[in-house]
Amino acid sequence: MAHIHIEDLSFSYPGANKRCLDSVSVTIEKGEYVLLCGQSGSGKTTLLRHLKSCLAPHGEKQGAILLDGAPLEQLSLREQAAKIGFVMQNPDDQIVTDKVWHELSFGLESLGCDQKTMRLRVAEMASYFGIQDWFHREVSQLSGGQKQLLNLAAIMAMQPEILILDEPTSQLDPLAASDFLSTLRKINTELGTTIFITEHRLEDIYPAADKVLVMDSGRIIAQGEPGEVSQVLWKENHPMFAALPTPVRAFYASGAEGKCPLTVREGRSWLSRAFQNHPPHTLSPAGEETVSEASPALTLRECWYRYEKDSPDILKGVSLSVPQGSLFAVVGANGAGKSTMLKAICQICKPYRGKVELFGVPAHKQKRLFSGCVAMLPQDPKSLFVKATAQEELAEMNTDTVQQERVAALCEISHLLHRHPWDLSGGEQQRLALAKVLLTNPRLLLLDEPTKGLDPFFKIQFAAILQKLKDSGVTILMVSHDVEFCAEYADLTGMFFDGQIITVNTPRAFFSQNSFYTTAANRMSRCVFQGAVTAEDVVSLYKQNQEG
Amino acid sequence: MKRSTLFSLISIFLLLPATLYLGTQLSGKAYYITSTLVILETMLPFFFRFESRKPQARELATIAVMCALAVAGRVAFPLPNFKAITGIVMIAGIAFGAETGFMIGAVSAFASNFFFSQGPWTPWQMMAYGIAGFLSGLIFHRHCARLLKNPPLLLGLMSVFGFVGIVVVIGPLLDCSTIFATSSHLSWKYALAVLAAGLPHNVTHGISCALTLVIFSKPLLSKLSRLQTKYGMLS
Amino acid sequence: MKHDAFSKYHPLVSFLFFALTIVFGVVIQHPAYLLAGVLSGGIYLSLLIGKKVFRWLTALIPLFLLVSLVNPLLNHRGSTVLCYVFSNPYTLEALLHGMVTGSIFVIMMLWFACYSQVLTSDKFICLFGRLIPTLSLLLVMVLRLIPSFMRKTSQLTGARKCIGKSGDAVSFRGKVASGMTILSALTDHALEGSITTADSMRSRGYGSGKRTSFQIYRFTPRDFILIAIIAALTSGILAFGGNAATYTPAVEIDRVGVGLICYCALCFIPIILQIKEAVQWRISISRI
Repeated sequence: MAHIHIEDLSFSYPGANKRCLDSVSVTIEKGEYVLLCGQSGSGKTTLLRHLKSCLAPHGEKQGAILLDGAPLEQLSLREQAAKIGFVMQNPDDQIVTDKVWHELSFGLESLGCDQKTMRLRVAEMASYFGIQDWFHREVSQLSGGQKQLLNLAAIMAMQPEILILDEPTSQLDPLAASDFLSTLRKINTELGTTIFITEHRLEDIYPAADKVLVMDSGRIIAQGEPGEVSQVLWKENHPMFAALPTPVRAFYASGAEGKCPLTVREGRSWLSRAFQNHPPHTLSPAGEETVSEASPALTLRECWYRYEKDSPDILKGVSLSVPQGSLFAVVGANGAGKSTMLKAICQICKPYRGKVELFGVPAHKQKRLFSGCVAMLPQDPKSLFVKATAQEELAEMNTDTVQQERVAALCEISHLLHRHPWDLSGGEQQRLALAKVLLTNPRLLLLDEPTKGLDPFFKIQFAAILQKLKDSGVTILMVSHDVEFCAEYADLTGMFFDGQIITVNTPRAFFSQNSFYTTAANRMSRCVFQGAVTAEDVVSLYKQNQEG
Repeated sequence: MKRSTLFSLISIFLLLPATLYLGTQLSGKAYYITSTLVILETMLPFFFRFESRKPQARELATIAVMCALAVAGRVAFPLPNFKAITGIVMIAGIAFGAETGFMIGAVSAFASNFFFSQGPWTPWQMMAYGIAGFLSGLIFHRHCARLLKNPPLLLGLMSVFGFVGIVVVIGPLLDCSTIFATSSHLSWKYALAVLAAGLPHNVTHGISCALTLVIFSKPLLSKLSRLQTKYGMLS
Repeated sequence: MKHDAFSKYHPLVSFLFFALTIVFGVVIQHPAYLLAGVLSGGIYLSLLIGKKVFRWLTALIPLFLLVSLVNPLLNHRGSTVLCYVFSNPYTLEALLHGMVTGSIFVIMMLWFACYSQVLTSDKFICLFGRLIPTLSLLLVMVLRLIPSFMRKTSQLTGARKCIGKSGDAVSFRGKVASGMTILSALTDHALEGSITTADSMRSRGYGSGKRTSFQIYRFTPRDFILIAIIAALTSGILAFGGNAATYTPAVEIDRVGVGLICYCALCFIPIILQIKEAVQWRISISRI
């Protein structure tokens, strides 16, 4: 008997004329690891929420959801709470209490467990998830990754049979995200918990899933093993194909035959096999990347900074020069001080030693730093929202309607101006925030983790806007974890480590000299090619060498 | 009879008189202990009511947010003397009614002292902010819907209420803890001296409260009602 | 907080201890008792917070002087007139009474400061979680939100600074307006977050029936023994008496006796425990 059986489920929100879920039928077996993917707004979250009565949205619903053969509604709220765990996107807001231990026991308290059971389960979970070291801490002292792990542990303490996760890693940095996903994998294999998850970043999770479902406008358009699904998406030329892992995209786009590689390892062996007998004659992608000779928009010279008198230095002699009109990406680990560097450029943190020059003038001497010189898009675009409509947000920055319209058109939000900023999707919020920032007419635009939590389609749209800005002469300095994005769109890439910029180079040279901190395409292809850093590079090299 | 009603009756008709009687029997500064106990016992019925109501998750989460906003709102202002807490508590009272308003005030005061320090002032602050939320809820809760239209008369009334309420009731109540804690014996003269010394502070407190009420009540109420329609809250 | 032996006891023990020391501290006006109270409270606070105790002392000493000197201005009882202020007698007895009141105030502040260090929020919840389950849940939710909102506020302020909407307005009006903008944005974040929090609560079974409360602190025989000791000392203080003192209109002070010893023993419990633990640690180390 299937563990979860969704039968012909349709759903529409009150007042909406379009169905949000349209005849969805899904069967999930016990212990399966099921990945649900689709563009933002395709109905993924709505579907997930229907699997838990207390979270299901109100609206018109048809069809049935069976759990172990019995309708879900027959299960009491208490049974559902214990059997079905639900992890949401935002690590912070899901936490209820102020202490780690209390959060772990919250679910058990709600279920009315006795002291002995609680003690045991909490201890078990803390040990299993490696939480014992921060068991007594306040949740406010935890990092985002730790918070999300705590949310998972707090749910696992109730020993659910099914775990539902709605984009659990979208707010985490890549390291914490892969930690989280491997813990999830461990839960699935060791405890046999059924897992039903949605994700944007498919690189890690796609190959690991037992079954993949693809949603588009409320319908399931493909389901099956990862290999099958990728084939279907490729054949249908579906936009979701662009979100699949690099090896899959490279494989199909290069027109290769055989079994599709899913992981970097499989991709590697596919390429080595393909060039086993005739080594490639063209090793590197065509087109030399050139370093811009333009005068620098921003120069940092030996900047040192620490937050408090006795705290350790965060910036330890940062030197950096960003040529005018370029997109400069700084990559590096979490907490290395990248964001602090941006704050130092904005003069929010004033370096106690060293110089910050903007367009040849020391930053502290710029009279009107934030009008027409520099502006920063913060990590969380929502930090900039203070009004009730997008229109008012823009008007707060600049009362000139012509300017407002120009920027709204540039950021592709003209159709959203009457909406409440908080009702927009993640990508739209990002673009509205960008529009607000652009209304200060910055010549140097600073971006702090601009692709965090964005789905691949929004990323492409966002990159196009950045290109337009560059064309109009804006210099962009971006701080990011997203190596794939930097490899694809940056003109120059720098590595931030231990309070300094260690090395600066063009993305191709930069990523092909790294062996760990590089893109999946590069890791996969370095056995046969040199300097291929994107899936497109791999595809074109593959084609050239196969033809020739 | 509901358990909460029973507890409330016990605390009003047994505990309170017993405390007052014992207070008169003890010598020295026992009046300090008596007054604190009386304050705590007056709050008990509110707490029992809240317990017995068993609020839903959404309501509890919203109340928690209002309490934390009242406490953390302080750091939003670049003015050290600007106390927004009372104003926010009052708006919360207007939005949620007298009883919940009392809870929000009392819990805000109690919780904030975990970040500063608990002291002899804690029960008095709980009572004072509780009363702020209670009174504003009692008077203005029924006009809640009209406030969204920004009616000048109502806002004017509210700001007067906020200012007068603080200078006459809430501020003096906060000063009571100082009176009881620092007087060698109870006397009107001493009480008046402390109140007079506290007056300038209470006036600035009253001004910041009135300003908060005028500027912030419409945004907060409209945000709450937006959420209600967006998520079908509290229905 | 520094390592402290007394803090490791069950919250009930700590609560009882502080309730007693504060009540006795306020009610007893006998100078010897006051001295014992100030000393024990001060030493214990310094054990708890180390050097920061000096900050407390620099705040408390002026307050002590203020209370001591102002009270006699409004209390004219007593026979030994020191001088006349505004044609009212300023008497020695009233001054003494004022100093006693000042000391009581200092004792109260010291014990409350210790209380704040020892009885943290989770201990409070442990004590009252079963009696007022919903309220204590509300309290821990608020305690989680406050630091998060503080951080959010500075994040919002920072984000606005970076687009030139900084809070460096000079006028009162400008400062209030910028504060209100931040507060309003914070409210959006907070309310939107509360929806997620409520979902997370419901999905973990909140509201599905009776709740229990997880007790992280366990009541052990050790705690029972300490409670018994506290109870014995308290009855000693009450039984032996010798703590009455009146200052106005005339100074009358009881002779001290066993009661004072009991009182000192009670107040110094945390300090004694700390010393005992340090000695035991030394011994156990030297045995290795």
